[in-house]
Amino acid sequence: MDAAKVRALVQATLEEFIEDWGLEAEIKPETRIVEDLEFDSIDVIQLTVAIESALGGRKLGFQDLLMRDGRYIDDLSLREVQDFVAAKIAA
Amino acid sequence: MTQTFLLGLDGASYTVLRPLIDGSADEGVVMPYLAGLVADGYSATLRSTAHPLTPPAWTSVCTGRTPGHHGIYDFVRFEDMGDDIYFTLYDSRDIRCETLWQIAGRAGKTVASLNFPMMAPPQEVNGALVPGFVSWKHLRRNTWPRELYDRIKTLDGFDPREMSWDFERESQIGDVMPDDELHDWVEKHLPRDHQWFNIGLHLLREDNPDLMALMLDGTDKIQHQAWHVLDPRYWNPSEASHGRKKVRALVLDYFRGLDGYIRELHQAAGPDCQFVIVSDHGFTGAEKVVRINKYLESLGVLAWRAHDGSEAARRRDLANFANLDWTRTRAYCPTPSSNGVVIRVKSDKNPGGVDPAEYESFRAGLIAELLALRDPETGEAVIREVLKREDAFPGPAMGQAPDLTLVLSDHGFVSVRNLAPAVVTRPVPMGTHHPDGIFIMTGPGVRRAQGAVLSIVDTTAIVAHGLGLDIPADFEGRVPDDLFDGAWLTEHPVRIGGQTAAQDGTPAHDGDEADEDQREEVLAQLRLLGYLED
Repeated sequence: MDAAKVRALVQATLEEFIEDWGLEAEIKPETRIVEDLEFDSIDVIQLTVAIESALGGRKLGFQDLLMRDGRYIDDLSLREVQDFVAAKIAA
Repeated sequence: MTQTFLLGLDGASYTVLRPLIDGSADEGVVMPYLAGLVADGYSATLRSTAHPLTPPAWTSVCTGRTPGHHGIYDFVRFEDMGDDIYFTLYDSRDIRCETLWQIAGRAGKTVASLNFPMMAPPQEVNGALVPGFVSWKHLRRNTWPRELYDRIKTLDGFDPREMSWDFERESQIGDVMPDDELHDWVEKHLPRDHQWFNIGLHLLREDNPDLMALMLDGTDKIQHQAWHVLDPRYWNPSEASHGRKKVRALVLDYFRGLDGYIRELHQAAGPDCQFVIVSDHGFTGAEKVVRINKYLESLGVLAWRAHDGSEAARRRDLANFANLDWTRTRAYCPTPSSNGVVIRVKSDKNPGGVDPAEYESFRAGLIAELLALRDPETGEAVIREVLKREDAFPGPAMGQAPDLTLVLSDHGFVSVRNLAPAVVTRPVPMGTHHPDGIFIMTGPGVRRAQGAVLSIVDTTAIVAHGLGLDIPADFEGRVPDDLFDGAWLTEHPVRIGGQTAAQDGTPAHDGDEADEDQREEVLAQLRLLGYLED
């Protein structure tokens, strides 16, 4: 799967993920999942599971994205998630 | 036509229901429809699992197996990593046995299963499954089949926020609340049962599944917090304040509403449906707080993690997970809901543990010390029984059970917080689980009788029989001899045959590299939730 398709799949997964949340936010690469989409911590993990499921259950090691310097990060943009997934798929 | 309706009422107890159905409550008969079902049908006390807790007990209803076989012991499970303990959440992948929904599906029966815990992520069933205890944001992804969510979304009044698990609200269970706050808390719980009832009624009418299974859990939540206005032992209207009377009135409105749900569901199911009402455990009032890890510290087998004064350390101390110095702890209680004591056995990763050769003597000594714990106010024993895991949870999954399970004298749950003294009296009695729940059944062939005490796993055998299935030989329950009349049994003899589908006998989370990744995800989830601090 090429990078463009991966990015589209991640965005589509995110859009489906929040479908029932009643948000008005437009999903763009710079959309931040906590600040703009009201993600709770548990939602972040559920999203990683949803993305892995959308990729056929492939494990992507999202801890590498979620942790920096031994601490869990506060927020993520869609672009950061797309970049991470695309890099993992390409590797 | 729906053959069997299994209605679960979480924590329902005759202690509360009897005055509401026989009219001995001050308010008279509050649940007339349920009273009629009891009068016209078969009722009995239903004995819960050895530790009467929602996840293991409902999983026993769903599988017909005891925890030593199905492998679910608590909301949370834990892995000893030597210098730390990882706490993770149990889910459907940890159930080692086939569920009744799957068994019925294999026999060609259609099923609807609504709001049962430990059912997420959902397994494929021949019908519909919406799990309980899931955040509203993730209900769609955990609904089977996925399209079902779009159907229920169109129901009048559907609001996923009202029907699903609110972690913040549930975490308040156990807090002492002033009457006005308690009134608000109860009020916020009322819509949840209505949401599930509405979905259940809709699927019953539209799909007519052979087996309709719906669990309502308002009973449990409300009884935990409002026990002092429900239990006839504690309720005294002549002494109650206006605020407390308001709370009782609201709570009784809940039970009136519940009676209405039962009426509508029973009538919609029709006279040819066997209608089975069960609870996972009963309820009673706990008057003592037992800080069990504080006591274990006094015995020299447990050490608390050093407190650095930070906010994170303060939150750790107040969390419902044992926060200990694992290098100096040989026995501990992991969570309040477990009521368990885990003995840490010596190993390469845990060199400070109990030597395997000394395990039996260490355990015997610990049991004696636990039974010796006294209430300083009364001098009476605080712990009535200490169950060894091989006695309480025999089976292939016994290894996941705590080494010891405590039955407190008042049936309360322990506290794992680092507070002193070890035993104190609560300002008001708190609702807690009692092993004796309810079993009520009506319908074709069901005798009008009051039966002897049943086991919670009997429920599954009874429902399987009602569906016309052979009862799998590895089910641990049975159909009571006096439940059905002779004519029914002549036409529908109880048949034992076959086995449940083979499971691999290991929890889905254990073992290979992929599962390690999965575990890391859950750990991350717990850390992010604030259950674990870095």
